[in-house]
Formats: sequence, structure tokens, C-alpha cells
Amino acid sequence: MKNNASIVDCDIHPYVSEQCPIEPFVPDSLRLAVDQGMANRPTHGYSNPFGLIRRDAHCQSARQLVEEHLDKFDIAFCVLQPPGVGVSQINNIDVANGMAEAWNDWQIENYLKRDRRILGSICVNMADPPAAVREIRRIAKSYPRMVQVIVPGESRELYGHRQYYPVYEACEEFGLPLGLHPGQEGSLGSATPVGRPSNYFEWHTIIPLTFQAHTVSMICEGVFERFPRLHVLLVEGGISWLPPLLWRLDKNYKALRSMAPWLKELPSEYALRHLRLTTQPIEEPPQKGQLAQMFRMVQADRTVLFSSDYPHWDYDDPVRCLPADLGDDTIRRIMYDNAFALFRLERFSEEGTRPTV
Amino acid sequence: MKTNNNQKTPGLDCGFGSENKALDYAFQLVEEAAPPKKREGRDLVVCSATEIPEGGRRTVADGKRSIGVFRIGGQFYALLNVCPHMGAPLCVGKLHGTHRPSEVHEYDPAFHGRILRCPWHGWEFDVMTGKGLYDRHGRAATFPVRVDSHGDVVVTV
Repeated sequence: MKNNASIVDCDIHPYVSEQCPIEPFVPDSLRLAVDQGMANRPTHGYSNPFGLIRRDAHCQSARQLVEEHLDKFDIAFCVLQPPGVGVSQINNIDVANGMAEAWNDWQIENYLKRDRRILGSICVNMADPPAAVREIRRIAKSYPRMVQVIVPGESRELYGHRQYYPVYEACEEFGLPLGLHPGQEGSLGSATPVGRPSNYFEWHTIIPLTFQAHTVSMICEGVFERFPRLHVLLVEGGISWLPPLLWRLDKNYKALRSMAPWLKELPSEYALRHLRLTTQPIEEPPQKGQLAQMFRMVQADRTVLFSSDYPHWDYDDPVRCLPADLGDDTIRRIMYDNAFALFRLERFSEEGTRPTV
Repeated sequence: MKTNNNQKTPGLDCGFGSENKALDYAFQLVEEAAPPKKREGRDLVVCSATEIPEGGRRTVADGKRSIGVFRIGGQFYALLNVCPHMGAPLCVGKLHGTHRPSEVHEYDPAFHGRILRCPWHGWEFDVMTGKGLYDRHGRAATFPVRVDSHGDVVVTV
């Protein structure tokens, strides 16, 4: 249990429940519209037939989260990934903007105000960037414990496109990382560019496709030249897909640089400076040592942050998931230091270890 | 451009295929590299300056070594005909322009006709300096060139 006293868990999924309904947080003016089905969004059509949630876990209230997870592992801080990650996919733009507000207030009232170890993610509607900026301002000014802006992997455009610049500008202004979390891949189009997967098994495996597309887009479109203080946290995609992607990018840069002349460094240099990755679902290669090699390829001692994905079925255990051959120093950085730096947790560290439920 | 599509070049039947005209052209030029007029010590007398038109080039064989001589803006430049990346015949690549490093979403075209793009992988080199435009250190080997009193292009190797 060597890491117990120093864990930040970057991926926790709270759910609506009888104790924590979403309805009270929907803006008054939109309640009728929501009743009329205008908060509906397309779905990808895949679900885990054996259950999305661990059989022995719940996350229907702050109390359950604290008892079943935070206290059990003595977790110093955790970051929520609320259901509102996907509001950008709601068909109606006005309702989507309202639901972003609702999910943010829902997190604050039901979780952030119940335990000081729990940190939130600002949900925004990326289909309406000016509205997203207004929501970032509203929340960031009053609730610094909402520590990142969260957007879904499934999107209408690649995130390198300049229509999203106002959102990145706001992230920089408030020192908020942009979190990218899988979200209904295949609901706006096909989950792959070459057709629809046949089942949840295939669908879940290829989630990193959208991460790769957004990563290449943001680097090559010059987002990190334009926003040199922006960090992007890639949540719940694992890490092993990144090294070969960066090798391809760097190799192509040598011949094709002239097509993106604003890139003044190798693509991998932008990536390793601006991208951060969370560990779950951690890959489990067949030979001992292979995973540690992958971690070293992405310079994990400064780019990788621990996440459990509690209470999902593909949860990673905070104590057992990292291979010991990473070394104690790297493990400590992944479990705690890197998240501490990214989210500037020194702001909350004094109050961070005592539960108040 | 002379082609010899009917004649299969020995040793090249390794998957590149005759579709890849750039590569066929590359090997063709290398194999047809002209011998120099003469060699005097370290001076390789390539040809008369009038034989290389503006924007043109000549590859010349010096023993087993091949050297490309380019005429750009009335001046002559010589590069070793080997790309430092994978050994491709660099000097048969096309001459292009490129974009200078710029602000995001701005384009600053520059060096038109002066950038040699390797025929294999497309890496860019400045003909005048040999400098590679893909990283800090990469460069193609260069040689001093002059036009002597007889009007001949002379490369010092």
C-alpha cells in the first residue's frame, strides 16, 4: 500500500440518483423545453451488456464516493467527470447551453460542497463557443474548485479548428486545463471513418481514435503556438497509442512542415509540453517491462496522471495498476505530483485531506 | 525528360514499381551522370557555364561519388548527391519554394526555386547553403564552386 497517502484520482463518474436529481438545476426558462424532449441527443447505440458500473461500487452521492473510494484509498483529491461532459451533442443549442449550467451547478451542490477533496469539471457546449466562454467565466470566477473545462471526444469539428479559440483563450485566462473525455463516439457520425463497429467490445477498444484525431488537429493547426499556456488532459484513453502517433507526426514534419509553417518545433515537442494523459484504462501488455517502456516513451514522469474511472467496470485500482518497474519516483509523480501541478492543487492543499461529510 | 520505361533497370526491381516516375527519373539521372571535362588536383572541371541554364542542373560523376551542380540566380552551387537521411540521390529532387516559419494560419512563401526536395522522402534542403529545413543540425554536404577564366564551372572537392 505504498502510495496510499498521496493519490489524486483524475477520473470519477458521479451519477444522477434519487438523492442527486438534475431537474432542480435546469434553468427555469428551459424546463418546458426539456419536458418537450429538447435535451435529447443522438446516441451511438452501444452499451456494455454486463453493466457499465462495477457490481460492488456506486457513485450516486458524495457520501458513497467518499466511503467507497476516497476514504478507502485515502485519496487526497479527485476530479469529477459528470454526465454533462456530452452536452455538446444535445440537438438543441439553447437547451445544451442550459444543461451545461445545470450539470455545473449539480456538481457544486451535490459534490463540491459536500467534501473538500472533490473537484469538478466545467461542462461547456462546444457547439456554441461564445456560450461556452460565458459559462467558463461564470463558474471559474466563483468556484475555483471546478478545476478544468471538459469536452467530449465526439465532436462536430476537430478541436484544432479556430472556432474553438475563444474557449482556449478562456482556459488560458483562468489557468484551466482543457479535459478531453470519451463521449458517445459514433453518436454524431460513425464511430470510425470506415463504418460502424458491431458491438460495445469493438467500440470501446477504438475510443482512442478520436483522441488521435484531435491530438493531430490541435498540434498541426497551431493551437499550442497560439495558446502557449494551454494544457490538454486526455482522460480515459490510456497512453500507449501516443508514442507511435508522435513518431509519425515527427517523421512527416520533416517532409511536410511547409504545409503548417507555424510549427516551429517537432510535433512531439508540442505534444509532450502541452498534452497530459490519464492512466486508465491502463494497457496490460503480455511481457513485464513493456508497459514501463511505453510510459518512458511519453515521458510519464511529467505527462501522466493517475485515474481510476471509478465506479466503471474497467476501473483501475490505485494501488495495483502501475507497474513497479516504473520506479518509486515516477510512480509518485503519476499518482500525485503531476496532477498537483496541472490543477495547481496547492490552492486547496491545506483543506484537502479532511472529509467534511 | 528522357524516359526508358521499356528497359528495366537491373537491381531496381524491388517494389518501387514503374509508376513512381520520380524515382525512375532519379536513378536515370544518377546513372547518366556525365563525367567531368577533367580533374586537376582537387578541382573538378564540370562543363562550360553556358551548358547549365538558369534554374538548371548537372550531375557529375567523380569516381564513385556523384555531385550535383545547380544554377540559381546566375550563381552556381554544388551538393553531394546523397541525402543525409537515407542516402537518396538528393540532387535529382525537384526545386520548390517553401513557407517561412510564420504566425498561426499565416503563410509566408519564400525561397522560390531554391529549395531542393529529396526525391525519396521529401525532406527540404536549401541549395545555396545545404542546410536542411527539417531540424537544427541536418544538412547536405556542399562544395565550393567557381567559374574559371575559360568560362568553365569548377567544383573543388
